[in-house]
Amino acid sequence: MNARRALIIVTALVLALAPPAAPAGPQAAPAAADRPAVAAKPDAAAQAAAAPAAKPAVTKKPAANKVPVKRTEEILPAFQTPKEKTAVIVFYVWLWLSIGVLLYFLRWWVQEADRVFRARFYEPAESPRKDNPMPPLLGE
Amino acid sequence: MSARGILGWFVDRFGLKPILDYMHKKEVPQHHHTIWYYTGSSILLFLVLQIVTGILLALYYKPTLEGATASVERIMTELPLGWLVRSIHSWGATFMIATVMVHLLAIWFTKSYRKPREVTWMTGFLLLVFSMMFGFTGYLLPWDDLSLAATKVGTNIPRAIPVVGAWVTQFLRGGDDVTGDTLTRFFILHVCVFPLLIFAVLAVHIILVQKEGMSLPLKAEIEKKKLPWLPFWPNFVLRETMIWLVLLGVLLSISILFAPSLAPTADLMSPAPEGVKPEWYFLFLFQTLKIFPANMGPVTGEFVAVVLILLAVVAIFFLPFLDPKPQGRSGKIVTYAGILGVIYAVVMSIWSLL
Repeated sequence: MNARRALIIVTALVLALAPPAAPAGPQAAPAAADRPAVAAKPDAAAQAAAAPAAKPAVTKKPAANKVPVKRTEEILPAFQTPKEKTAVIVFYVWLWLSIGVLLYFLRWWVQEADRVFRARFYEPAESPRKDNPMPPLLGE
Repeated sequence: MSARGILGWFVDRFGLKPILDYMHKKEVPQHHHTIWYYTGSSILLFLVLQIVTGILLALYYKPTLEGATASVERIMTELPLGWLVRSIHSWGATFMIATVMVHLLAIWFTKSYRKPREVTWMTGFLLLVFSMMFGFTGYLLPWDDLSLAATKVGTNIPRAIPVVGAWVTQFLRGGDDVTGDTLTRFFILHVCVFPLLIFAVLAVHIILVQKEGMSLPLKAEIEKKKLPWLPFWPNFVLRETMIWLVLLGVLLSISILFAPSLAPTADLMSPAPEGVKPEWYFLFLFQTLKIFPANMGPVTGEFVAVVLILLAVVAIFFLPFLDPKPQGRSGKIVTYAGILGVIYAVVMSIWSLL
């Protein structure tokens, strides 16, 4: 089977198995931009609206759908106590001070490690690493 | 016993000597693209942070309809610094996914996916997909208005996939609609299934990276040029530590200054609120789905969009095989495709926010 024939067969199969387009006219599917909002509307709501007219019987809801007490306002993150606020501010200042001090020592440590490496301090004389064109030191 | 003695005891008992020897011998090439090597280890840093903060949140979170939003509310308002832990977890996810994307793009543009690193690329791409799935499943857990609506939209998208689409949607939701069962499923996926998957794939990825070593720039490899290098331990690790510290500081600063709020409790019976949008890393996909018309001939526009997205995903996954000779014409095409892809994603994301 050549590639073109295979492509035609695959395309035909995919099109055959694709979900059909919605019919045109006033009942056509909503525009793609509106789809999320429509999709978000639960099917259960439409069913519940239609149910009383057709069948007033009480439908048993699954336990998982029990809705808890609804909170309508947004909760903003906030310090709970002045002590917590002070602790966070102190922590924030301490954090950056520590990072600054650690960076200073790490930079010094890196330069020292590079210097030791450049001096081939730990290398045996016959090491194949001798052909390494040494990289510049940090900050050079 | 001295600290060195204790360390020596562990090295001896656990047989760590070969690993330490390997770290001493491992070479890290130094060139103009060395900076991108640091993105890999930064991802690990964010992953560890996500695990730690995730465990802290899981101690108080309840994955039930009645308890989800109330437990998040409790974490934010009652527990000491609970809002900060949640904020670090939320921003950490953003930082992690952004770093994975940068890492992937760096590999893409430096052509480091070329032979013999094809599987390393494929596992790396899987890690990006799993990271995004982490974000998607975690977004629903607070069970607020926005997360419910976004999850309804997100779980409805696979429905357009031929044959298995409806089943995938039903499987993700645990029924026809997003309910409490979906919440339980997403919680299990978020704290159990995806962590196991990500650890398994990450282990393979890291082993392959160690096996093949750091990739050289394409030009240097073609010219067989000997580049300068540094030992992984301690020279490169110390440099990485400096970057980790800065990243940690930036993450904590943003988490303190821009902590996320908690939207009103989700109501299964109410329509979606205005302006529902997914997380930033899904915005370009969301906008792509929106720009397609409702119907395209005999099929829906959504179907065409989903098929195109799936084709793109498959093409990216198999990129090393589509571009076996990156120094040739195909390499240039892949570079231009990458640039176009980045521009497309940025433009679509901004458009979605307008």
